[in-house]
Amino acid sequence: MIGKILRKPQALIGIAMMLTVFAVMIFAPAFAPNDPGKVDIMQKFAEPCKQYPLGTDDMGRCITSRLICGARVSMSIALPTIGAIAVISVLLAAVCSYIGGIVDKLFVIVSNIFMALPPFLVAMTLVGLFESKALSIVISIVVAMWVWNAQVVRTYVLREKSKPYIITCRMSGCSELRIILRHIIPNIFPHLLVLYSTGLSGVIIMISSYAFLGLGLETGTAEWGAMLVNANKLIFSHPELIVYPGLCILFAAAGFNLFGEALRDICDPREG
Amino acid sequence: MLKAENVTKKYGQQTAVDDVSLKVQDNAVTVIVGESGSGKSTLARMLSLIESPDSGEIILDDKKTDRKSAKANRRLVQLVMQDAASSLDPHQSARQVIDEPLKLLLGFDKAKRAKRTDELCDMVQFPKDRLKNKVSELSGGQQKRLCIARALAAEPKYIIFDESFSGLDVTLRRCILTMLKKLREKLETGFLIITHDLDTAMYMADRIYVMRFGKMIETLDDPKSFLDFKENYSKELVRAAEYKRQALKL
Repeated sequence: MIGKILRKPQALIGIAMMLTVFAVMIFAPAFAPNDPGKVDIMQKFAEPCKQYPLGTDDMGRCITSRLICGARVSMSIALPTIGAIAVISVLLAAVCSYIGGIVDKLFVIVSNIFMALPPFLVAMTLVGLFESKALSIVISIVVAMWVWNAQVVRTYVLREKSKPYIITCRMSGCSELRIILRHIIPNIFPHLLVLYSTGLSGVIIMISSYAFLGLGLETGTAEWGAMLVNANKLIFSHPELIVYPGLCILFAAAGFNLFGEALRDICDPREG
Repeated sequence: MLKAENVTKKYGQQTAVDDVSLKVQDNAVTVIVGESGSGKSTLARMLSLIESPDSGEIILDDKKTDRKSAKANRRLVQLVMQDAASSLDPHQSARQVIDEPLKLLLGFDKAKRAKRTDELCDMVQFPKDRLKNKVSELSGGQQKRLCIARALAAEPKYIIFDESFSGLDVTLRRCILTMLKKLREKLETGFLIITHDLDTAMYMADRIYVMRFGKMIETLDDPKSFLDFKENYSKELVRAAEYKRQALKL
């Protein structure tokens, strides 16, 4: 497996990009040249220089430091969010659709009710429920988005469940739980990887959108989405303030997508 | 003995199997022949306890089976399906395929499983150096042998081969059938072979059943020649097989 990953350039590029994001996320304080929250109005819109490698924003804050620390904030919300979505959607969809009958019908009804509500409406309703803004964001996105992912997982499970090898598994003495955990999920895993790696970029963008609606993290927090939204009024005078956080989001999302798709090709023997 | 007694199975308005009775003898080869859509595979699924009949009984060793007992009896009746590639989990290695019934149905420990896997590979002439390969990396013939090894691993009393030899080239088919003949002499397992190929039926069978439109129309014990068939439809099948042979010669 590791050998196959090492031989696939797409996977290597994806890993390199992901590792860069994780490294920046973990070692943000060491990499940041300045305090990302330090306001120095005298230095606003400063040109790139030794002290401020990418210049400063409209409050005179170091853009480089804010981008570096933004990785930590964005990813520390996005990763647990997508993790929770993945666990909930895979478990619920796999079990319900595998059991079938009334359980699956009930699952479809509940899913349809959730899907009738616009994700943003659900998220906006829930985002103010908890004291911690980050926790509110995680929970509201999970509640709003699990169902869309669960529906996709359900389709994968139904397709897999109808394949003849499931009969062979039963003949070999597999319990229903073993069939789900050891046969169906490993077979749909490559698809799940792509689903959730692309979902991660969606979550990063959703967190950014929260900031735009004033529901995101505290004003002034160094977070890519918030930086993007704060800079929208400066799009013509200082477009770089939008380009930098946008590129960071693109870089992180592309890294996860590239790795996810390469891993799918490697893991899926029918497509590999 | 594995028996079907007056079993009927319907899918919607369509009657797939209509009041069929048959016996699969211990340590003998029973063959069902018939054209596509005659209900052979439906009957195979009922006999392998995957599906329940709408009416009638499947009787295993003089005991009626139902949904509850089907699970407990699963080890005793194994099914080898037509398409080996799709009947095996593509993510499993060949070793894992054989390992699973040994572990789950027979409760063998690791050492015993490894030993038995080697024996099964020898039995079905599966190359041991391919055991670590994923199912999808094996050739069609190797996949077919692996399916048979998996079924044998469960130490069943009966193995049902549902069109398992169609789609194989002649050499490989002959090779697998010869292997099964040898296995039959060695093991005390009853084989039920479902096929539309009369040559296979004649080569293997101790008893032949002919099916048409979901009904059993003829039974032939210890068949020696194609001339033993009495029913017009069976004779038609024989003529079709002869025509195919002539065409191949030309």
